[in-house]
Amino acid sequence: MNGRTDVENYLVAMATFACLYALLALGLNLVWGLAGMINLGLVGFFAVGAYVSALATKRGGVPIALGIVAALAVAAVAGAVMALITARLRGDYLAIITLGFSEVVRLVASNEIWLTNGTDGISGIPGPWRGRVSPVAFNVIFLVLAALLVTVVLGVLERVRHSPYGRVLRAIRDDDQVAGVAGKHVLRFKVEAFALSAGVLGVAGALWGHYTSFIAPEVFVPLITIYVVLALTAGGTGNNWGAVLGAFLVVFFMEATRFATGWLPGLGPVQIAALRESLIGLSLLVILRVRPAGLLPERLPRVEPPPAGEAAR
Amino acid sequence: MSFDAAISRRTVLGGAAVLAAAGLVAPRAGAQPAAIRLGTLTPLTGAGGSYGPSMRKAMEWVAQEINAAGGVLGHPIRLVSEDDQTNPEAAVRAARKLIDVDKVAAIMGTWASAVTTAVAPLCWESKTFLTTVSGSDTITQLPHQGYLIRTQPNTHLQIGKLAEFLLALKVKRVFTLAAQTPFAVPSHKRLEEILPRGGTEVAGIVVYDKDKTTFRSEIDQALRSKPDMIYLNGYTPDCTVLMKELFKAGYTGGKVAQGYAVNAKLLGSLPREVTDGTYTATPSPAVESAGYKRLARALGTDDLDPYSCQCHDHISLVALAIAHANGEATGTAVRDHVRKISQGNGQKIDSAVEGLKLLGHGKAINYEGASGPCDFTDAGDILDCKIRFDQAQQGKFKFVKMI
Repeated sequence: MNGRTDVENYLVAMATFACLYALLALGLNLVWGLAGMINLGLVGFFAVGAYVSALATKRGGVPIALGIVAALAVAAVAGAVMALITARLRGDYLAIITLGFSEVVRLVASNEIWLTNGTDGISGIPGPWRGRVSPVAFNVIFLVLAALLVTVVLGVLERVRHSPYGRVLRAIRDDDQVAGVAGKHVLRFKVEAFALSAGVLGVAGALWGHYTSFIAPEVFVPLITIYVVLALTAGGTGNNWGAVLGAFLVVFFMEATRFATGWLPGLGPVQIAALRESLIGLSLLVILRVRPAGLLPERLPRVEPPPAGEAAR
Repeated sequence: MSFDAAISRRTVLGGAAVLAAAGLVAPRAGAQPAAIRLGTLTPLTGAGGSYGPSMRKAMEWVAQEINAAGGVLGHPIRLVSEDDQTNPEAAVRAARKLIDVDKVAAIMGTWASAVTTAVAPLCWESKTFLTTVSGSDTITQLPHQGYLIRTQPNTHLQIGKLAEFLLALKVKRVFTLAAQTPFAVPSHKRLEEILPRGGTEVAGIVVYDKDKTTFRSEIDQALRSKPDMIYLNGYTPDCTVLMKELFKAGYTGGKVAQGYAVNAKLLGSLPREVTDGTYTATPSPAVESAGYKRLARALGTDDLDPYSCQCHDHISLVALAIAHANGEATGTAVRDHVRKISQGNGQKIDSAVEGLKLLGHGKAINYEGASGPCDFTDAGDILDCKIRFDQAQQGKFKFVKMI
């Protein structure tokens, strides 16, 4: 085997994981960065998407593309319901409820064995052309697919951000009463934003399943939520490009620390494993200390104020 | 001010350049072309974090011993260690790195069943051998094409022996309280298969969520069927609560649990009257074997956990298989040769170093490890394993018997 190809294969795989994290960060950015609703249950929507697509393709025999669409739809409905339930909650309360949601999803996945195969998980989830092409080619195909989806989602969300619709979401974020007084139907906007965000998270989940071919409740732990919140905070809350950048940085950091710690003398693998996690936390602290708004801070689309003279008169 | 800023920026850039250069050069300079590269993927952090470090240490020690004795046909073993974080997502990334960057012939020591199931497809697709200590029955049913063996007895083997033990105790009605795990229901089914043959009734099962803080309703349900033996098939935290609540509910019948759940720590945290009489079943390493004693000495303990013993055997088996394949350090070679050194009529050996020497003289060998006989079925399961039964007495474990 050609050694060079192998390292490239690793880089391709990590880029794919970074794309999946980017989708998660983009989904979070819409609901948190734009609409100001914290969602600490994003791994729950990630799980819903993964299970829907895995079951649809493996048990239902539908094509993978349709499975991904189904994942988007079901996760979006779950998000809409979630938003309706939590309509009056903000801040800490919303954070706790959403965190609870993700735990409920995980518990349902562990216990409804007839549907989810319980803690054994679902293995052998089909992937596009998996088995028909070499594993290396499959890796590349999947990266292209994931990158394509990131581009599409990024495009759509940028469009949302720059549109009057995005402006309303920002208004709700800053003060939903003012937005309401200005005649905006706040609840409708919140539900729609939450649903769209959850749909994006569901797509990421579906991709994860098709990529690794195995999902189990243990995959969908709060650790992933933490990584994604970290990615968005480091990249720049409110900025879609920041979300993508942050996701790539987090995956880069998680992987780079594997190699960097190899040269620290006198440390056993156990200390190195602990040090890796500290390094990831430390780097976030540094980023937030130096750039409190993230690496790519949110830049509000310019709105021309009326000429000064007019206002005075 | 601006002068300071310029200096610091230059320093930072310089530092970054040095780091980048080191990153490009160092791995090449350190690589030894003749080394046999093997990967360890154990839980160093997360839920399995208390087991992984000693598993890894056991493998490290075997590698050192082999290297000190001249390596595998002259090739030293280079061990690359990664942390699976007891999480399938992190484990998949770590495995990719071991396979693609380090190009290991085998990945050894995966612990959690979900981690093993997530990593296994990567291994068989890229023809890398996987050795695991995970117990879930479904693992060896994966289409792994032979690229997987496990040294942990599966539910079928373990619970079969537990049933044998319960029959010998002549209990009448057994009720199971099980945490929701992949082995909860299969364990129960296996009991139902064997116990009625000896006249013992299987009264029922309640599967609970292990993170609950009280199990009153579960216990009520169990006691309603008036069992004289309750099988606690869970983990340490939930078994602690269950035993306390069973005691409070006035249950005086027998209790039996897995050794990893009802352990010395649990006995230390509960009053004696709560724990006394409880039986535990533990897949036992071959404590009388020379391999076990040697490893115990090397790791500075006289009570090795089964996973460390199994990992000791993982690397020994892989090294011997590579030697048997005339030094071909690939996953496929390990797959094709591992059963030729682990079972059969060859000379029985209990250390990799000894085995390598005999293979060098062209002799046939049969490796019997620190964890047990290490004989494998075609699916990759071990054929036999001793289960040790203890009983809590006066807050301490007392050996009952080995089956």
